[in-house]
Parts: sequence; structure tokens; C-alpha cells
Amino acid sequence: MFIDIDCSQMKKYNQNAYGDYFVSKRYPDEARLIAVLSDGLGSGIKANILSCMTATMLLQFIENGQIPIRKAAEIIMNSLPVCKVRRISYSTFSAIDCDDYGNAKIVEEGNPEFLWIRDNEVMTPEYETIQSKTFKNRKMKVYKLKLKLGDRLIFCSDGVTQAGLGGGRLKLGLRRDGLIVLVKDKLSEQADISSSELSQYIVNQARNIETDRHPKDDISACVLYFREPRESLIFTGPPYHQQKDAEYARMFDNFKGKKAICGGTTANLISRELNRPITMDTTISIGKLPACSYMDGVDLVTEGILTLTKTLEYLESNTTDIDNAAGKLVKFLLDSDCINFMVGAKLNQAHYDPALPIEIEIRKNIIKKMANVLQDKYFKKVSIQYM
Amino acid sequence: MDEKKISVKVCLGTTCFVMGSANLQELIETVPAKYGDKVDVMGVPCLGLCSIDWEFSKAPYVKVDDEVVKEATVEKVLKAIDEKLAQQEK
Repeated sequence: MFIDIDCSQMKKYNQNAYGDYFVSKRYPDEARLIAVLSDGLGSGIKANILSCMTATMLLQFIENGQIPIRKAAEIIMNSLPVCKVRRISYSTFSAIDCDDYGNAKIVEEGNPEFLWIRDNEVMTPEYETIQSKTFKNRKMKVYKLKLKLGDRLIFCSDGVTQAGLGGGRLKLGLRRDGLIVLVKDKLSEQADISSSELSQYIVNQARNIETDRHPKDDISACVLYFREPRESLIFTGPPYHQQKDAEYARMFDNFKGKKAICGGTTANLISRELNRPITMDTTISIGKLPACSYMDGVDLVTEGILTLTKTLEYLESNTTDIDNAAGKLVKFLLDSDCINFMVGAKLNQAHYDPALPIEIEIRKNIIKKMANVLQDKYFKKVSIQYM
Repeated sequence: MDEKKISVKVCLGTTCFVMGSANLQELIETVPAKYGDKVDVMGVPCLGLCSIDWEFSKAPYVKVDDEVVKEATVEKVLKAIDEKLAQQEK
């Protein structure tokens, strides 16, 4: 299974920093994912610092694997200080440690209870309560779940469940029941909605029920969706050993999933080996990138280095919906969960001629950087094969 | 007179593109306006010439039928087309 995870957030009205903090990390070698959502006391910079410290510390405790998630959370719960002024906890948190096989361990302290949704019904998981030894009013819930394909987990900060509190229509706020109705309605309308869209939807809806649409607290929604992975393959650069062209072309052809080619020489290679003609887009290239080409059985064909460099730039700066070859490649990448790169190691000497008006990067380096951005920022699974 | 169309292929590979073939794309509009349907202009992903021509810096390349135009400019390409047309009329 692939775990599609995303978190959407909104700041409290009139604040310039998020008071909730979300952090997640994927460990492709262990097929594991850890995510933490923390809500810091107060709002703005202070809350941001508190929640950020709690979330990152917890993530590091869990990822080291020296102590189980339950123990890690207990230590944090027992040691978090209390605000002198308000006499309440410094921050609250939810943490999840799960894997691709559907095993999940969850701990919650102070945050609203998460939702576990299967076949559009809310499940009621069993949990164990651990009372803090140092603070009477603190206790955490520990869950151990076995998830199935299609399951969703939704974590929220209290900004969601308390949205609209004291307002006209919902005197007690949205609450958990309201959130369940909202999520179920959306899921019956759009059963395979992505985590990014669903989390965005929850946050927007929560904001909409606030008086004057001004959030009275930081709003965060984190969604995990366990589903079949969407695989894609990107072939870029001619292989170092030319005699293996046919073999690599066959590998490319046999791949089940979406396919892209980045590079003129690579496109020619596939066209020659698979005997499929290439046609180039007749529109004049927009901006500084060559136009896309078309080939049967391939979803996207672009030029190589320039397009890849631009794509990396777009990914780093969160730029989407651009109508050029790099914009199309960004969409291609973001619409996939598992991205496989086949990177040819052959260099074209002409690219390193100092007379060229711009500097051209080495393909391997661009792909390495792109893989890191896709993993760290967009939570994709990436594999690279050099040829 | 041979009625065969002349084919003009503008290389839009990386080297050619940065060396100026981006500007040659205007041929895609100007050539049909000038020569009608006697000439076919298209962009191609890569002609594969920069990697085998060890003088490298002759990019951008354009192919007018089988003739390679090195360091191509709009004027050079138009001249090559005119020459081809003149040959055909002989």
C-alpha cells in the first residue's frame, strides 16, 4: 500500500506565524512513515516555537528506534512544562508511526481524537490510557491499528473541532460530530479524493464557519490515505553502453504505469528501438523551454536538461499550473506516488562547451536534487537507476 | 519539375536550443507564409549532431532536406531553402 499523506494549515486571524506544527518523514528502506502534529500553547511566534520543538523532538525520538513511540510520547508528556500564566500545558500532540503493510501505532495527548474511516464509516478503535506521573491533568491515548487498503486517518488540531465556537449557528463549534458529517459528505461525493485535497477541504470548511471567516485559532488537518500506489517512470539521458539501448527500451516499454521521456536523444533512442515515430508540438515554445513532443504509449516527452532544471526550480518554489514543458512535468510528478528514474550516464560533451550562453548542469546532479525535493517536500517514494 | 516538398528540421535539443534555435522557431510561421506548401518546417527533439560533431560550437543545427546548416540563422536557412528550390526548378 502507499500512504498518501498531507497536511493543510491556516493561521489564526491576525497572526503571522502558524501555531500548529506538522512534520513527517518517510523511510523508504523500511517502508515506514512517521508524522507528528503538535499544537502549541497560545498563538503566533510563541506557539510556533513550542509546537515546532515538541513535534521535531518527538519525531527524532521515534525515528531513532531506541525507544518505542509509546515510551517516547510518555517521556515528552511527563516533561513538557506548564505555562506559568495560564497553568495549562505547553503543547499538545498526535504522533503516528506506520508502515506500508497497514500497521500503525498512534499516540495522542491533548489533541482532538483522530478519525479512522473505512468504507465511509467511522471506526472505533480500542486504546490504552496512560496517566502522566508528573501532571494529574495529562493523559495520553495509545492505539495499535491494522489498516486496510482504502482506509483513511484524519488528525486535526482543536482549531478544526472548535471552529465556529460561540458564533451564531454552531454555539459549541464544529466539534467531532460536525467534522465527521463534513468528511463523510465529501467522501461520498469524491471517494478517491487525495489527502492534499481532503485536508485543504477540511481547513477551508472550518474557516468558513468562523465568524467573518476569521479563524480564532490555528487550524490544521492532516490526512493519511492508504491506497494503491500510482507508479511512474521517467527515462532521461542515453545509457553509457550503447549496445544496451534495446534492453533499456524494452524495460521502458514493459513498465506498467505512467511514462515520461526527458531528452531529445533519449526520445530518439526509444523511437528507434520501439519503432514509434515522434511528432513535435507545432506551437512555438513558450518562454525559455523547448516544446513537448508526442509518442504513442508515452505520456510526456520533453527536452532534457533545461526542462529538468526548470522543473526542479518549480518544485522547490511550489510553482504549479505553468503552461510549459516543465509545468507539465511537475504535474506528472505530483500525480504519482512512486517515481522511478532511469538515468542514462552518458555525457554529451557539447553541453560543457564554455561558449554556451548558460551553464548546463550534470544530469545526475539534477535528478539527485529532484529526488530529494520529491521525497522531503512532496512525500513521494523515489528510486533512481543509473544506466 | 520535381514537386517533392522540401523538409526543414529545426533541432530543439538542449545544445541547439541554448545556442539560438529558440529564435529559429519563427521559421515555423514565416516559411509557410513565404513559400506556401512547397516547404515543410518542423521542430525535432534532437538531430544528434552536436554530440558527433567534434567542433561542437557549430550549433544550432537545421537540416534542409539532407543538407545540414551549421550555426543556423533565419537568413542562412532561408538561403538554403532558396538554393534547394532553384535546384528543383532546373
